[in-house]
Amino acid sequence: MAGLVTGLANATVNASTVLILAGLGELISERAGVLNLGVEGIMLVGALSGFVTAFVTGSYWLGFGVAILAGGLISLVHAFLCISLNSDQAVSGIMLTLLGTGLTTYFGNSWSGKSISGFPERTLPLVGEYLVEIPILGTALFQSTVTDYAALLLVPVVWLFLYRTNIGLELVSVGEDPETADTMGVDVFKMRYLAVVLGGMFAGAAGAHLSLAFNEIWSASMTSGRGWIAVALVIFARWRPERILLGAYLFGLFNALQLYSQGLDITLGTGVPLAGLLNPVLNFVLNPTIMSTYPYIVTLLVLVLTVFRAENRELAQPSALVQSYSRELD
Amino acid sequence: MKLDVELTPREEVPRWMGYGTPVFTILAALAVSAVALVALDVSPLAAYRIMFVQTLTTSFGLTETVAKAVPLIFVGLAVYLPLKAQLWNIGAEGQLFLGAIAGTWVGVNVSLPTYALLPLMFVAGGLAGAVWIAVPAWLRAKLGINEIITTLLFVFIATEIKNYLVRGPMQAPGANFPQTPGLPAAARLPDLPIVGFPAGIVLAIALVGLIHVLLNYTRLGFEITFIGANDEAAEHAGMSKFKIYMIVLLSGGAIAGFAGVSEMAGVQGRLRAQFAPGYGFTAIPIALLGRNGAVQVMLAALFFAVLFVGGSSIQTLLSVPAAIVNIIQALVILFLITAEFFKQYSIDLSLTKRPDSNAAGRVEGDL
Repeated sequence: MAGLVTGLANATVNASTVLILAGLGELISERAGVLNLGVEGIMLVGALSGFVTAFVTGSYWLGFGVAILAGGLISLVHAFLCISLNSDQAVSGIMLTLLGTGLTTYFGNSWSGKSISGFPERTLPLVGEYLVEIPILGTALFQSTVTDYAALLLVPVVWLFLYRTNIGLELVSVGEDPETADTMGVDVFKMRYLAVVLGGMFAGAAGAHLSLAFNEIWSASMTSGRGWIAVALVIFARWRPERILLGAYLFGLFNALQLYSQGLDITLGTGVPLAGLLNPVLNFVLNPTIMSTYPYIVTLLVLVLTVFRAENRELAQPSALVQSYSRELD
Repeated sequence: MKLDVELTPREEVPRWMGYGTPVFTILAALAVSAVALVALDVSPLAAYRIMFVQTLTTSFGLTETVAKAVPLIFVGLAVYLPLKAQLWNIGAEGQLFLGAIAGTWVGVNVSLPTYALLPLMFVAGGLAGAVWIAVPAWLRAKLGINEIITTLLFVFIATEIKNYLVRGPMQAPGANFPQTPGLPAAARLPDLPIVGFPAGIVLAIALVGLIHVLLNYTRLGFEITFIGANDEAAEHAGMSKFKIYMIVLLSGGAIAGFAGVSEMAGVQGRLRAQFAPGYGFTAIPIALLGRNGAVQVMLAALFFAVLFVGGSSIQTLLSVPAAIVNIIQALVILFLITAEFFKQYSIDLSLTKRPDSNAAGRVEGDL
């Protein structure tokens, strides 16, 4: 039993890093009022460019850097369309996902199946040896790749950035009320550009984590829908960075449970089969395929909940989300 | 010196733009994609020749194109109709899955002669598609929750439900593959006599005509367009936003459901786990290209059908990854929404001396 729980914890934490990175990026963008449905595509661009760089140069650090840069660059397209041209944010985002998927499948063809040695798992210096001994969560949290640690560290960093720095507060104000922010001297365009590009860099990093640390290979569409989960995760987190961490673990847990539930004993170790009708119900509820819908269902419920609690501004979505802003023409 | 960009909203969109934009967009997307082809040492001319000329001049290519166009016309309309009321049905893919599930279930489990079975399958598929969009539709119409996110979330749920069903309750007895039993002959759409096209195209064209008439010649169509143009004014005029939103979204869901049925009964013959055509996303450029009317939606769907069929030809003949089609698709959207901007604003560029305009300091205070 303890082995199972440890294994589950390991799998959960492993699966959550990519969601934390991509989720934080999407959150920054949405906080400034720009929905980015291109995360999936940007992640793929990051994963491929990072992988190719690491493969050619032999440096996974360089690969990681290039992926972040590539993520920022391709998200500029979204920024230009949505912020400068006031285009439909949903359509532009989906375009970016199609473009990212298409470009990486097209140009990544010859790289698929190749593998590299990416970021190694390390314990923290000095304290690491002792922390790893912590039961259940020890190895999950303290025997990780540097990208895992970075993702964890970025949660408080983003929190501090958004709530405790001038530039972060300006960014959030642009997502809440661009007109007022503008009259107060905040450059709405600059802030939104910054947020979208920063968000793209996070998504690029998330992709690079997948190809350089998590899988250490490149294969077409290897993000397998994680970009969309990141979009859902931001709603689940109600646009708060600290809840991204919580949500990512929860989504990661569902992911891990899926792997483990395939051999799950629904008598819960008692050996006594549960009573008649309950069995098919449990079988359905615990079916690994059905389980993978739970994160989306939970996200939907949270979405409905946020509407009923809209008066509590702390918990609601940025007021100007999905709204374009133009100064001269209104 | 400073580059001055002056935007003036156009009072009227020039007539040529309405018709010229889709054509220009497609040409621009093909021109840029040519760069990707050159990058892989493939002659774009040869590739496009195979893609378009060969596809449209061989009877095999034509039949394939029409078969591909059927679901694309349906999903295109499924996005186009709600778009008339300014709503985005991003989840056509999910509604298509539900339509395919319900249609296949009826086809496999109900034994009736063809003339009764096929309509029943379409009714079941349409209902399933409508049910699948009902929650997002209600959330949008009643609570104002953004339909983009909710319809999208439902795609992922639908995908897993499909995967679950073909691996469990609907799996063909004794089969090792995750797939349903094959549809019986009575549940298959026949090919048209003489031309040999799949019969689904007749339904698709009929629906195009129906929606054209609905939007242009009926009161309901007028209300839909009015709400899309100015929802506040429409409500002042006594129209029910709730009613119209529910109608366009539920019809959209049902039409996407038809796409699933026609694909099962006309092309695939059974539902498989790996059935994930991505039509729901292709529906977006189709609806955008065809914004001016249902007939244009059909033409756009035909264009993408040619692209898909031609894309798989160049994959086999020139070993070009079929993903080039994704790239062209993305570029079409990219250029379309850029063109949208130029339709709305005329732009004047001029060079002026930079004025001193960095005086406005930020007011400190509670944000």
